[in-house]
Amino acid sequence: MSHLSNPLATADQLYQRSNALPIEIQDSIRFYTARLTQAAGILLRLPQDITAQANVLLFRYWVVDDLMAHEFSDVSAATIYLTAKISAEPRSLRSITNVYAYLLSSPSLSLSKNPGSSSDGDGNAKVDPESYYLSEGTYITTRNRILNIEGQILNALGFVTHVALPHPLAITYLQTLDVFANANGKAKELARRTVEWLNTALLSPQMLYLTHQPASLATAAIYLAARETGVKMPDVEWWEVFDCEREELGFLVVGMGSLGGLVEREGKRWGERGMISRLGVREEVKYLNGGGVVDEEVETARLMDEKVGA
Amino acid sequence: MSTKPKSRWADDDEDAALDAQRKAEKEAKKRAKAEKQRIAEEAAAAQQLKQQQQAQQEFESHHSPLSSRPSKRRKLSPPVEAERPEIQDDLLPAKLLRFPAPAWKKCRSVEDFEKLNDIEEGAYGWVSRAKDTVMGKVVALKRLKMDNANDGVPVTGLREIQTLRACSHPNIVALQEVVVGEDTSKIENIFLVLDFLEHDLKTLLETMPEPFLTSEVKTLLLQLTSGVAYLHSNFILHRDLKTSNLLLSNRGVLKIADFGMARYYSTPSPRLTTLVVTLWYRSPELLLGTETYGPSVDIWSLGCIFGELLSSTPLLQGTNEVSQLSLIFSLCGIPSEKTWPSFRRLPNARSLKLPSTAQSPASHGSVIRAKFPFLTSTGAALLTSCLALNPASRPTAQEVLDHEFFKEDPKPKSTAMFPTFPSKAGMEKRRRGRTPEAPGRGKARELGEVDFSGVFGGERSEERGGGFALKLI
Repeated sequence: MSHLSNPLATADQLYQRSNALPIEIQDSIRFYTARLTQAAGILLRLPQDITAQANVLLFRYWVVDDLMAHEFSDVSAATIYLTAKISAEPRSLRSITNVYAYLLSSPSLSLSKNPGSSSDGDGNAKVDPESYYLSEGTYITTRNRILNIEGQILNALGFVTHVALPHPLAITYLQTLDVFANANGKAKELARRTVEWLNTALLSPQMLYLTHQPASLATAAIYLAARETGVKMPDVEWWEVFDCEREELGFLVVGMGSLGGLVEREGKRWGERGMISRLGVREEVKYLNGGGVVDEEVETARLMDEKVGA
Repeated sequence: MSTKPKSRWADDDEDAALDAQRKAEKEAKKRAKAEKQRIAEEAAAAQQLKQQQQAQQEFESHHSPLSSRPSKRRKLSPPVEAERPEIQDDLLPAKLLRFPAPAWKKCRSVEDFEKLNDIEEGAYGWVSRAKDTVMGKVVALKRLKMDNANDGVPVTGLREIQTLRACSHPNIVALQEVVVGEDTSKIENIFLVLDFLEHDLKTLLETMPEPFLTSEVKTLLLQLTSGVAYLHSNFILHRDLKTSNLLLSNRGVLKIADFGMARYYSTPSPRLTTLVVTLWYRSPELLLGTETYGPSVDIWSLGCIFGELLSSTPLLQGTNEVSQLSLIFSLCGIPSEKTWPSFRRLPNARSLKLPSTAQSPASHGSVIRAKFPFLTSTGAALLTSCLALNPASRPTAQEVLDHEFFKEDPKPKSTAMFPTFPSKAGMEKRRRGRTPEAPGRGKARELGEVDFSGVFGGERSEERGGGFALKLI
């Protein structure tokens, strides 16, 4: 049973989401950090199931501990380190710190709108390698920070690191629906879109993986993918076979589908930045509150951040 | 030529008949549909009428101009209102599976526990007996060793937590929770809260005056095997089965503990490290350096434990890998291409020099049967199969469970009838017999005047701990 179900966040945990920050800013932090983890997972050549688990653990951690407790990129690195460590594909801290230094150095590099362009030769030519060089001293301080956060994450999760993913379930469901036999050419496309929707949902600041069981997530992804690819689903309420209520399905379909709009909104707020930092968030909150100008307090915070980062 | 040349596809009588039949069928369907609709409409009309009446009644009974709800309800288009309930009646009873969804929360502090006494120091940390001051339960606290600080929380400890959490079986020690040290700014002290059991089998075997009876060995072995079968069916290899990792409660329940070496496996097996399992319980293929092994390594350990339970001493006590292998070969015989095909291809087997079987005919067969003369032939067969040199010919845990050995007399002893022993971990001492003598012959003494008021006052003079007498059945 544990392969099919996840622990879920309680209503209290969801309600008490760090109330110091406006909800939109919280959404930004969750989205940008999850996207960073995803990019790091790709560069670390981790199997997607490990990256996906890391992102679920990241969101679980943030319903217990404060969003602003640690630098976002460090929390992301710690979750990916922890998840890979207990999997069959561990990654060294050296690789992880290098990858994060690279991702954070040139914001428009791998996290830009067209990640495809950065992988070819032209994209790389523009980047100065010095900007992501990691000195030994910086490596050691980064490593110690990540290890400290790893402990904090484990403590906050009560050492529950189990994550059941909906991806394999979704494929099983598609087989149950017999699409691979009937939907001629479109079946592959349908399966691909289903998995893509599931991976998209990982980035959603609505934290769908914390509120819904894998069975429902898989069903919703299939529904969306089938509507997109035009594969005909049974006329009856087929989602009930997969233990998903109509209402839950509707919620998830809207929730998964809304991420596109959110990304656009984030793009307008933060510009072409690849990743946001605590400092940027503090400034933005100040701006939202009507301050508008960078004042002394933010400046001190920035200096302190630099000190910690050095 | 009034008629056109008849095409093979042209209508003929047969087709016409078919057509007619089809038409009739269609008509019948249409009629059925119409009938259905008529019934639905009738029902709708009836419902509407009923509603109207109800509304009227309500309206009349209230006589209040403020209650505008009934009239509003009347305005709804009747088909929607009325048809819905009928459709739903057909579809509603879908029973959806609901999943258990435990939450996660911060670890409790170890300060919630009161340490009673140390039990032992294992390979991955030390264990002590402690009392939960909130719940009042006695538990075993196992502290994780944080040896390699550069890797953060050790992966062995995390694996142990991961696998223990995934397991829920009466013969596997249960992980209740994980607690951390008081200072949470740096997570350095991590404790597993486990079931406390009075004994580990190793200490018990060392201190027992006499070895277990066959019926007791069967009980223990059955429990061990059902735990191992559960692990293997969940794709977990224990990789460190030995008597000191087997715990026994005072009620005769055996539980497998110490999952520091455990990990998930798959078929075909991934590449795994060979440096697992305590030497005395390590299987020949591990000693010969295979990197792809499976559940059969646990079955070998199981066989070693079986032998140890019978004789109260570890079966194969090698001092290093080479002596361990030679002990194995002298007990189980020399492997040959016939009994263990492909063993020569294992990394450490290439340099192996084996005596030719023709030289000493006595040395090539297994001598297990001779070593345990009191074991029945089925028992010896089970032990021999568990200790088969070729991992492929060892039985699975499920096959061991179904073995004839457990069905023949003496039957496994019920756990309720299991003898109890003073627990070393629980700080219990063997109770010295101070039973009074039987009365001698002669005149019975009279009680006279006695004061009973102090009967309940003398609790302190009672024996501390203990309460478990050595009972030999």
